Amino acid sequence: MSRIEKLIPKLKEIVGETNLIQDPEKLKACSVDGKRPKVVVFPGTIAEVSKVVAYANEQSLTILPMGNGTKMGIGTIPGKMDVVLSTLRLNRMTDCDCDNLTLSAESGITLGEVQKKLGQEGKGYFLPLDPPHTLKATLGGIVATNSSGPGRLIYGTARDLIIGIKAVFPNGDIVASGGKTVKNVSGYDMCKLLIGSYGTLGILCEITFKLLPLPEREATLLLPFVRLEEAAQFGREILQSQYLPSSIEILNGMAVKKINPPIAQQGNYLVAIGLEGVAESIERQVSEIGERAKKKSALEIAVLRSESHSSFWKAIRDFSEGLAEEGLNFISFKSNILISRCGEVMGSYEKIAKESGVDCGLICHSGNGILYSYVFGGKGVRSKKESLLNLIREFSLVAVKNEGHPVVESAPPDIKKRIDVWGEPRGDYEIMRRLKKEIDPKGILNPGRFAGGI
Amino acid sequence: MERERMVEELSKIVGKENVLSSETDLFLYGYDASLFKAKPDCILFPGSTEEVSQIVKFCHREHIPVIARGSGTNLSGGTIPTRGGIILHFSRMNKILEIDIENQRAVVEPGLFTLALKNQLARYGFVYQPDPASEKVSTFGGNFAENSGGPHCLKYGVTTNHILGAEVVLPDGEVIQVGGKALDNPGYDLTGLLVGSEGTLGIATQLTLRIMPKSEAVKTMLAIYNSLEDAGRTVSAIIADGIVPATLEILDKLTIKAVEESVHAGFPLDAEAVLLIEIDGLKDGMERLAERIMEICRKNNAREVKSAKTEAERTQLWAGRKGAFGALSRLRPNYLVCDGTVPRTKLPEVLVQVMEVSKKYGLTIANVFHAGDGNLHPLILFDERDEEELRKVHLAGSEIMKLCADAGGTISGEHGIGTEKMKEMFFIFSPQDIAAMRKVKKAFDPEDICNPGKILPEVQA
Ligand SMILES: Cc1cc2nc3c(=O)[nH]c(=O)nc-3n(C[C@H](O)[C@H](O)[C@H](O)COP(=O)(O)OP(=O)(O)OC[C@H]3O[C@@H](n4cnc5c(N)ncnc54)[C@H](O)[C@@H]3O)c2cc1C
Repeated sequence: MSRIEKLIPKLKEIVGETNLIQDPEKLKACSVDGKRPKVVVFPGTIAEVSKVVAYANEQSLTILPMGNGTKMGIGTIPGKMDVVLSTLRLNRMTDCDCDNLTLSAESGITLGEVQKKLGQEGKGYFLPLDPPHTLKATLGGIVATNSSGPGRLIYGTARDLIIGIKAVFPNGDIVASGGKTVKNVSGYDMCKLLIGSYGTLGILCEITFKLLPLPEREATLLLPFVRLEEAAQFGREILQSQYLPSSIEILNGMAVKKINPPIAQQGNYLVAIGLEGVAESIERQVSEIGERAKKKSALEIAVLRSESHSSFWKAIRDFSEGLAEEGLNFISFKSNILISRCGEVMGSYEKIAKESGVDCGLICHSGNGILYSYVFGGKGVRSKKESLLNLIREFSLVAVKNEGHPVVESAPPDIKKRIDVWGEPRGDYEIMRRLKKEIDPKGILNPGRFAGGI
Repeated sequence: MERERMVEELSKIVGKENVLSSETDLFLYGYDASLFKAKPDCILFPGSTEEVSQIVKFCHREHIPVIARGSGTNLSGGTIPTRGGIILHFSRMNKILEIDIENQRAVVEPGLFTLALKNQLARYGFVYQPDPASEKVSTFGGNFAENSGGPHCLKYGVTTNHILGAEVVLPDGEVIQVGGKALDNPGYDLTGLLVGSEGTLGIATQLTLRIMPKSEAVKTMLAIYNSLEDAGRTVSAIIADGIVPATLEILDKLTIKAVEESVHAGFPLDAEAVLLIEIDGLKDGMERLAERIMEICRKNNAREVKSAKTEAERTQLWAGRKGAFGALSRLRPNYLVCDGTVPRTKLPEVLVQVMEVSKKYGLTIANVFHAGDGNLHPLILFDERDEEELRKVHLAGSEIMKLCADAGGTISGEHGIGTEKMKEMFFIFSPQDIAAMRKVKKAFDPEDICNPGKILPEVQA
């Protein structure tokens, strides 16, 4: 009997016989970068999470927290991988206080389900986050990876929307920070530390968000341009104006083709402007921004509403869905750069991709300086490997030059092995390692997968 | 270490002219806007990051506490040198280093006054949103360390939502850059962790801020009430209706009186409370939204709702709000501001409970606060020379924090814990919660050099 097998009865005792998977075939579904855990546990309460973690800590078992697994590919290839702790049974909305515009919910519930329920509350509410994997992403996974979407331009990201987190720390302590007040400076802001910590400091169990009422009206302007500079310039112009779009996306031709939006002129650069708010302001922005675009040589001005509006944004959010599985040598790359340099960086990336002979879709949250690149490397890992590695290096260099620190979010294991997916080390990694060491001295939580070797 | 030698060593770093150590100086830098006092060993005025780093290295080596100080306007005893040590005063590091309009960022030194940046930004039609009432003199270092709020933070978020990066001198003197102009750097969000850490994890020497274009239109309204509770109820109702205005501020009768005696904002003296409301954004639909809000006010017994017709009228109303603490301080020699924050649905009932505390102790309490955020500011007025009164003030203050905590709220919305509220941390946190925070402190500052003895109470292991 292996060591882990000896420990399984205790884990079963904590979560219950039926809430644990040991069958190797079933474990495959929880594999990360091709590696399989030894056991998956499904605790049903925060107290159970605490017990599992305390026990694992005592026995020095490593734990990978997991929701629906949509973002498990982000990070260094796991080393030791004993227990996957699934949050999927922690799936309740625990305090839906729409009158206070706050919601507390457990980490295993999907954002999709939350939005559906909030939409039906009173006059209709929503949680203003629009990250990828609309239907599958769980709150825990979204927050642990600080995942976001085009709407961050107006609504911000998890750090702007979260006011409380209950997490289980590596010693098994249930640690609460924040609460359900929209302002709070009582003690350190542990929420900020946990957001985007990729499960390396604690298991997120319950999260409290600020809510908003559903907007009165929504619309999208799709504005194709022939030249990238024109598109980028137009995006900047709107950003610097007093208009209040909820998103300003710039797509390259390749991304446009894949999304196939309802416009006549496919294949060009597309500026997509999302608008949400009171009816009068939406109508004015639709007409005035459209007018301005015409003057700036947009090829057409398409206005999307209701169904076509929502499905366009869903397609943007979920662009990468399934690509890693279907595409050969698929690489996705997130570059964070200066807002004003989005156009230049997109141009450089297209050039680099062309020189490497690969297809590359680009989608940029241009008002936030966040650029996603989706590289389709094509067949033949071996022959392509060096050129793909080179492409990654060049993409990184360009981003760094524009004050960014890019991350490879998805790549075949063969490529991942050769790079640090988190990019060049930053000067603040040492203090991060000290934090990890204090909080998780035995290194049981998601070890070795995060930036700085954490 | 002997003071003389300390001063001599430190003079080598910052220059003699930038060190103070006379008895008067030690007294002057031994208090802030809280009720606490203590004596530092000396006061330094560093002129660069490099100097700050060298000073901190010295303190680290010699085990001397170092306390950063902006304008000393914090209300929780955050700058009190309770264990002696060195005060780092940032008045020489007060420059705007960069206004980067096209990237919507500004980079500033920590000693810069909040309003000084805003005045410069106005020339470009840009704003930095957080607006603590003390912004004329509060520094960015102080705003950063306290995660300050202000009337417009209801819609735009508090300081932490607007600080994107910092250059920080760690407690061992090492200099690091956290965050930056670009968003979403990989690794932990150290910027977010450092904001609100009250100078206990490191000292900021530069801050990178988010700035944005000024909104197209703004509308300011004043609703007048015969009952404070009704004003509170209106705020709950506005939020419950899904409206998040830029501002929802309440001033009660006592505050109105004090304000009218000093700045003449035009608040009616016979009202029990006024609610200052501001909405901003695009001009379209604004009238309709204003009408919806006014309707809610009237439904909740506002006796009158008026709107500012001119920019001058608007400025006058705001002068009333911003001058409120100052005006109240003229009534009695001292005040204690409680900073409890509650879910917005709980406002009316908590306001009533605060009035009961006032009655119970026979203390005068004024209320002027960020109602939309649920952030109460009961101001207890007193004379600290009256020991019996002072004793009651502390009891009442603690009781108010308790009732906020019991209403599902917290003990500080924007003023911090500092020296003042360490005991009350247990109203809202378990020993485990505190122990986790202590690990953070230990990771940054194992020797307890930076602003020691603040925020975290001792926990029995
Ligand atoms: C009349 C009045 C009105 C106020 N109104 C508001 C309000 O509306 N909203 C609000 O939030 N607060 C308000 N305050 C509180 C106070 O003004 C704020 O907390 C402000 O941010 C403090 O700034 P300061 O420069 O005075 O900081 P200080 O009081 O000097 O210091 C505050 C804290 O910051 C730390 N610190 C200072 N500089 C640095 C640095 N460079 N690096 C690290 N730590 C540093 C100090 O050690 C201390 O812990 C008010 C206070 C008064 C007196």
